[in-house]
Amino acid sequence: MNHVRSLTQAYSQAPWRRQMQLIGLFLLVLVLVAVVVGIYLNVTARAATIGRQILYMQADIENLELINTDLNTKLGVLTSAAEMEKRALEMGFQPIERDQALYIVVPGYPGRKQPILAPEPTPVIAISASLPPAFTESLLDWLWQRAAMISRLAAGDRP
Amino acid sequence: MNTEQTWRYNVLGSLFALMAMLITARMVRIQTNPQAVDLFTKARSYYEGEWHTFYPARGQVFDRWGQLLAGNTMVYEVGVELESLKNPHTVALTLNVVLGLDYASTLQEISQPASANAVYVVLDDNVPQDKIEQLEKFQTNIELSYNDARGKDIPSLDGLIWRAHFQRTYPEKALASNILGFVGRDEDGKIKGYFGIEAKFDDLLAGEPVTVWVPRDPNRVAETPEIPDGASLVLTIDREIQVNMEAILDETLEESGAESGTIVVLDPRSGEVLAMATTPRLDLNRYWDYGEVFKKDTPFNRAVSQAYEPGSVYKVLTMAAALDKGAVKPDTVFLDTGVFEIGGIYIYNWNSGAWGPQDMQGCMQHSLNVCLAWVASQLGARDFYAYMRAFGIGHLTGIDLAGEMPGRLKVPGDADWYDSDLGTNAFGQGVSATPLQMAVAAAALANDGKMMAPRIVRSMVKDGRQYNTSPRLIGMPIKAETARTLSELLTRSLEDEASTALVDGYRIAGKTGTAEIPTPYGYTSNLTNASFVGWGPVDDPRFLVYIWLEKPQSSMWGSEVAAPVFREVVEHLVVLMNIPPDDVRHSLYGQ
Repeated sequence: MNHVRSLTQAYSQAPWRRQMQLIGLFLLVLVLVAVVVGIYLNVTARAATIGRQILYMQADIENLELINTDLNTKLGVLTSAAEMEKRALEMGFQPIERDQALYIVVPGYPGRKQPILAPEPTPVIAISASLPPAFTESLLDWLWQRAAMISRLAAGDRP
Repeated sequence: MNTEQTWRYNVLGSLFALMAMLITARMVRIQTNPQAVDLFTKARSYYEGEWHTFYPARGQVFDRWGQLLAGNTMVYEVGVELESLKNPHTVALTLNVVLGLDYASTLQEISQPASANAVYVVLDDNVPQDKIEQLEKFQTNIELSYNDARGKDIPSLDGLIWRAHFQRTYPEKALASNILGFVGRDEDGKIKGYFGIEAKFDDLLAGEPVTVWVPRDPNRVAETPEIPDGASLVLTIDREIQVNMEAILDETLEESGAESGTIVVLDPRSGEVLAMATTPRLDLNRYWDYGEVFKKDTPFNRAVSQAYEPGSVYKVLTMAAALDKGAVKPDTVFLDTGVFEIGGIYIYNWNSGAWGPQDMQGCMQHSLNVCLAWVASQLGARDFYAYMRAFGIGHLTGIDLAGEMPGRLKVPGDADWYDSDLGTNAFGQGVSATPLQMAVAAAALANDGKMMAPRIVRSMVKDGRQYNTSPRLIGMPIKAETARTLSELLTRSLEDEASTALVDGYRIAGKTGTAEIPTPYGYTSNLTNASFVGWGPVDDPRFLVYIWLEKPQSSMWGSEVAAPVFREVVEHLVVLMNIPPDDVRHSLYGQ
């Protein structure tokens, strides 16, 4: 029995075993640090990539807005009075003379309408404070109200 | 471990320790060295981001039916970043070939070394898209051809950059140019609207530039703020009517030899300006030609900026005032002896003749100065000028255009007013008004005495919402009954005269005007201002037209040069505005 105990003691106190424990502990810390650093790098790299994509997209949006405005103006040039007259004449149309016009009443036709480029402004409706008190009152307010409620209940008031 | 190995390990360990110490020392030095700190601060601020000013697109301008009159085109600024420039010769040569820039001066400009004061050189601006596409092709070809080449003089367009921005563009070129104005740059290089709508609504159209911090660090990317475009405007102008009015005016000037001309078309019921044609006109896409087109003191828009003595068209206001006050009635008879004395001067008729007994229609039909001077004397100076002020003479109309002039109405009490002025003012002499003022005043006669504020902006589109303007009554100088009486009187006078202003099928009210032009020595010139004011259809006025021809050569008389123009204008208007002849309208609508 003593022999076994001495063997166990010798095993546990062996120098190489303590070294192994230290190395193991060091490696464990190293692995943990590596994992944290790896995760951090991964997340940072992905965030940076997405951030860069957003920057590119913002630049694209700005460019597309420029192009849209430019195209609108080109459309304006293509439908300008001089261009439209030229095209109409090429297609064989002639300007109408006053005595050539035939006037008829078209039931339900309201006439030419003013262009609507955007919706009309809507009336501004004043929004009353709709947040529940829990979002606005302080802790002290809440405690004060509770205390007041308890005192009212104690006095016999119905909740 | 033997002794020899221990020695080696000690040396290796010392070396590593020394390296670590050196690195640490270097780090400490860099962190504390003022120059290095400055360098790092600069580098950090560069890579962190930059303050960027976003300029909103200038608001567009449309006619009343949504046709674009002023928009924005994408153009480019071309320049060189000196720090990145590799081969100035290639850049100068390419820009010479594509943009036509002078090779030598370009080379000289970009050959300066990069420094804190010389970072970027602008070489050209307002370069169109197709030229930029050519530059892109050149750049690609050079990169492909010399990608692997090494050496000092390798062709390269590195450093050449272009940036897109907007340029104001007017698709209709010179059409309605006097109304729109143009956009240029002021002395400080800032974009600014000049004349017309562009000047009057400059702040609104330009919008609010926003300066924000734009990070370069992708980890700190933030949402770009939404920059709303400048407000867009919808005008009351009808493009088709404007086109026709300008064409008629140009043709008239050519035929009559007049120095300039103006045609104003209003809707008398709402005060909306449907067209405002005048001369000269400028292709707004070439606004730098302004100095050549508008010589000396030529106003940009004569309709609102040039007051003149209107002559006999003014008689409609005198007669309206007298009828309204009850000083005369339509059947009041005046015995025209050919001369009338007032304030110590003698008034004569246009032909120096005596026309005998004339009722008020006759006075207007024959445009008798003597009669109108007498009418004004019956009305009295106080009432006459009170009515003229009520008609807005001598005051700005308040139209939404830059550069409006008020004209001049001398009144009793002014240092330069004399009793005789009452007589001369009665037929439009000694008083000045702009064509628009005259049109607005006459529109009250067409609109049952209600004078509407002239409007040229119908709607404004701002922040995604359309705000419409409303007609605004600015006064009621005469009673509705007076207005109808005078309209009928003027209609009959045109019909009895068989005026060249008449249009088959439509009852029109109107009055011609021929005004002598004052010189520093009096009315000594043989040149005249010919005018015509008219409206119709008389029973439901949809348009009022004011015409002014300055110094016509073919004839000096308004009845001969301005009245036919009115007829031509109305013949176009009734088609463009879908106004059937009176009998057809009555049968269709039971009116």
